[in-house]
Amino acid sequence: MYEVTLFDHDFLEMMKSIAGEGVLNAADGFSGMIGRQIRVSSPAVKLVPVLTIPQVVGKPDEDAVGVYLRFHGNLAGQIMLIIPHGKAMELADLIMGNAPGTTRQLGSLERSALGELGNLCGSFFLNTVAKLFDLGIHPSPPAVMVDMVAAILDIVVATMEGISEQALLFQANFVDGDRRVDTDFWVIPDLNSLQALAGKNLKS
Amino acid sequence: MKETNVGLGEQAVSREPEEVLVAYGLGSCLGVVMIDPASRLSGLLHALLPRTPETGERGAPNSSKYVESGIEHLLASLVREGAKPDRLIVRIVGGANMLMGAGMSQSFDIGTRNVEAAKTTLSRLNLPISVAVAEVGGHSGRTVRVYVAESRVTVRVIGEKEREI
Repeated sequence: MYEVTLFDHDFLEMMKSIAGEGVLNAADGFSGMIGRQIRVSSPAVKLVPVLTIPQVVGKPDEDAVGVYLRFHGNLAGQIMLIIPHGKAMELADLIMGNAPGTTRQLGSLERSALGELGNLCGSFFLNTVAKLFDLGIHPSPPAVMVDMVAAILDIVVATMEGISEQALLFQANFVDGDRRVDTDFWVIPDLNSLQALAGKNLKS
Repeated sequence: MKETNVGLGEQAVSREPEEVLVAYGLGSCLGVVMIDPASRLSGLLHALLPRTPETGERGAPNSSKYVESGIEHLLASLVREGAKPDRLIVRIVGGANMLMGAGMSQSFDIGTRNVEAAKTTLSRLNLPISVAVAEVGGHSGRTVRVYVAESRVTVRVIGEKEREI
């Protein structure tokens, strides 16, 4: 069991700074993938009780797409991109260069495209952290789920709950011009590997 | 009808005719339903993991986070309210392996372990259980509803209509 005291003020401030820079880079990966400039909205670092995670994103039985990655190495944890179902079809059109409204269901090709989007966002984020701390971090291939929000988030919760009752959540929403993309980007580091990070200095 | 959300690591018991107990989007989590039609009592557990870790540093032993202790706690709550164990109708719903279906092969299958823990615990407590394959396992999330007035249980999977089990 890890003590909450690990997350003192200075440590949380450092996490906010890292998350801010990492999420900006993730948005660059997103932009490159869809060929439009994506901005980051309301990035936040929160310490949340694991059991409340399903309530952080909208209604638990709404249909959504989840793109999930794990990462290992000097820092370990989970990354989840959560996209509302209708918005995922719009994004699939953008990524695949289709006219708006072309995608009417998410087949293997569309899921693969969305998986690649999650992969890019995750990799851009992790590259930022790896460079800042001079760490080796290795992401898994992405897994794509089309299901209810709560069912998708069960993966994060079940993984965390065996380790800690609280999770450090890096969260951001992506924005395309005036339109919200309504895509939540979560990074949930394993608390034991964060302890190692707490003792490391940022590379200038 | 009044829907009561039974969240992660929670359970609820009701004999309120207007009430519908609901656990939304069970993925690897397990929903355990117990109904005593004679006393019009219904209970729903929304458990997360199979059993309390042996390190013993978790919360109360009857925690609803765990299938094993949650089932024991739900049964005790229903009996306290007047239910008879030998009249109980028991259903389990959920326990999917979400990641395996999504193509991630290296996944610890908590869903299957939750289902196994439920079967073992229910058998130890001599509670009759009939588990349809369509209600547990697989790779899809499920929402379970318990209609207290009619002692009725339904399941909904993404893209499908609610159906009675």
